[in-house]
Amino acid sequence: MELVFSPEQEELRRSVRRFIEARSPLSAVREQMESETGYDASVWRQLADQMGLQSIAIPEEYGGAGSSFVDLAIVLEELGRGLVPSPFFGSVVLAAYALLDAGDDAACRDLLPGIADGSRLATLAFTEDSGSWDLGDITLSAVPERDGWSLTGAKSYVVDGHVADLILVAARTSAGLSLFAVEADASGLTRTELPTLDQTRRLARLVLDGTPARLIGTDGAAETSLARTLDKAAIALAAEQLGGAQAALDMAVDYAKVRQQFDQPIGSFQAIKHKASEMLLRVESARSATYYGMWAVADDGEDVPIVASLVKAYCSEAYFHAAAENIQIHGGIGFTWEHDAHLYFKRAKSAQLFLGDGDFHRENLAERVGI
Amino acid sequence: MEIDLGPEAAAFRTEIRGWIAAHAPAELAAMTDWNAAAMTGGHSVNAEPEQSPEYAAWEQELLDARLICASWPEQYGGRGLGPVENAILTEEFHRAGVPRIRRGFGEGMVGPSLMAHGTAEQQEHFLRRIITAEDVYCQGFSEPDHGSDLGSVETRGVVDGDEIVITGQKVWTSGFYRANMMFVLCRTDTAAPKHRGLSYVLVPFLDNNIEARPLKQMTGAAQFGQEFFDGARAPMFNVVGGLNNGWKVAMTTLGFERGGSATTQHLRFEREFWDLVDLARKLGRERDPLIRQQLAWAYTHVQIMRFSGLRLLSQLAEGRDPGPEASTSKLFWSEYEKRLGEIAIDLLGAEGLVRPEGEGYQVSHWQDVFLASRAGTIYSGTSEIQRNIIAERALGLPREGGHKPAPKPATR
Repeated sequence: MELVFSPEQEELRRSVRRFIEARSPLSAVREQMESETGYDASVWRQLADQMGLQSIAIPEEYGGAGSSFVDLAIVLEELGRGLVPSPFFGSVVLAAYALLDAGDDAACRDLLPGIADGSRLATLAFTEDSGSWDLGDITLSAVPERDGWSLTGAKSYVVDGHVADLILVAARTSAGLSLFAVEADASGLTRTELPTLDQTRRLARLVLDGTPARLIGTDGAAETSLARTLDKAAIALAAEQLGGAQAALDMAVDYAKVRQQFDQPIGSFQAIKHKASEMLLRVESARSATYYGMWAVADDGEDVPIVASLVKAYCSEAYFHAAAENIQIHGGIGFTWEHDAHLYFKRAKSAQLFLGDGDFHRENLAERVGI
Repeated sequence: MEIDLGPEAAAFRTEIRGWIAAHAPAELAAMTDWNAAAMTGGHSVNAEPEQSPEYAAWEQELLDARLICASWPEQYGGRGLGPVENAILTEEFHRAGVPRIRRGFGEGMVGPSLMAHGTAEQQEHFLRRIITAEDVYCQGFSEPDHGSDLGSVETRGVVDGDEIVITGQKVWTSGFYRANMMFVLCRTDTAAPKHRGLSYVLVPFLDNNIEARPLKQMTGAAQFGQEFFDGARAPMFNVVGGLNNGWKVAMTTLGFERGGSATTQHLRFEREFWDLVDLARKLGRERDPLIRQQLAWAYTHVQIMRFSGLRLLSQLAEGRDPGPEASTSKLFWSEYEKRLGEIAIDLLGAEGLVRPEGEGYQVSHWQDVFLASRAGTIYSGTSEIQRNIIAERALGLPREGGHKPAPKPATR
């Protein structure tokens, strides 16, 4: 474990940032917020064809570049910084790791190359109408058919579920929790996009009625494999949160330096300084925790489950704090639709609640450290 | 998970580990828990073992191997250890359960000030005495009317031939009862602008017209003192950095010690955390969801101290300049410690209302943790001062209007 980025990783960060500044500035983000699909397909193609970002952490035998989780997390931090609306998190983090963690070589050979080259969008559907992020609360049932399986039930809060070509569904069989692949055009599948608080990240509700599905991995083994996937996803999401939190801090500090009241920049007042330094304290703490978590995943460390919950709880609250204080420091303009502060505020809340909030993960953490 | 700091660091670790095994007196580690440290200032639980012959033998071994003030450059009697080596030294001593003997203010503040601003003769005379503990320093900066605003100190220093005569009052002096020397910031020019009329003087502390009185703290203990100077004298030789140049000297902080405890400072908090978990279990409250939230919150913060330390050290090992996280560490742990004290006393509930029987104002361990934790966000720069510093230096926010910028310290 090294905890310091290599020159190649620093260059990766710079090139992703440059790309986002050129191709997906916040003005473009706003256009996508109003669009049908919620993301820019041409940006998605460029991310894949020019930069190869979707393939970055997927092993080479499955069509990927075989880089480490650290590289992937760097990309996520930058995507979070720019609030880039894209199916990246659902496809490249949730779905790709659900496949990899299931340990199903044939399924990985069939399904990962399309995810890696960006030609197919995938996602993971595990949450249901209960809104619980706990794998133990999954009820959707799967029954064996003559040549495959059939799924019946509902999934909700499925990220990019309205546009995904491939949906990995967690369902219960007589053997326990299992993972299935469902094609978007499968019979008996109804997808409804949900209007979201955070318009930069779309969610859908799926109803499955005798929908045909392919078993991924071993029947009944998904309780363990999906737990591993969700730990990685928590750290990946924390990387996004870190990027967003830093952007909110930067925005607040830049404004505090130029906004004049009482004939001086508001950033000279201690009331503002103390807010800003508290933001920095939490953002830097979130950075230390997230970077440790990234390397822990890359090194397959034993402490990943503990670190995942710790990092998700802390970063969720650090981002929300930074985004909320950013609005306060901006004053009236920060409360307008026209200003970008609310985009970060809404993303901060959606990322905080998605995959479980601070309370949820602190309870997990207590359990995992043996309290 | 172990952090990879490179082959040189690994070789140094092996060397130190072997050295400890060969030189530490056999009985030393078993005598007491040398790693235990009270939360804030705290009780000196190791006062008695420190009087033992084993401790004295160990101290001599360390002196012979130049492992006291080891981060000082070799020309000043140290070993010139960099921050990474320094951190490894602390880690290995910690692992072996033997004390890392330090020289307090002398090592961390007086020494660096002398190296940066002292004459060759002063360095020759004073530095060696710090290493051997012939001189033990306490700090004479704060005054009853001047804490955060150090530039305004009023204690007077008047030149009288080849001596300087000091009159005034200092306060909040930790470790005064061990000291034989005090480094004093005093006003030697009342006409000059406030930062330009100060001098930094090394003053003999005993039998020198200084009355030192212990100051009872809110915990009931008396660990720091207040001093009344009534014509205390020091040779002009003891003025560091020249007359009226004391502000610059006082602001010299330890550049090379930084990172030294980066990967070990969380350990005392980790120990305290698990003690708190034991308390929750003893009270039968470890399944209470609210208590679990608080415990997980505390665990998170202790681990973040560790992660931040590892990150800092990794950057130093690569020769990179650490980012703004280096300036947030004191604020982070002192605010954490305060909250932890509150969690602990709340957990005690009604039991927290009653003190143990005994002379004076006795308190239980957790009552002490609760009360003592209020100090950390005040000493060495209050949290409010820390936040100002972070805002101005790490974030580049402008200074408050109407005030001239104060001279910037040489190092953070």
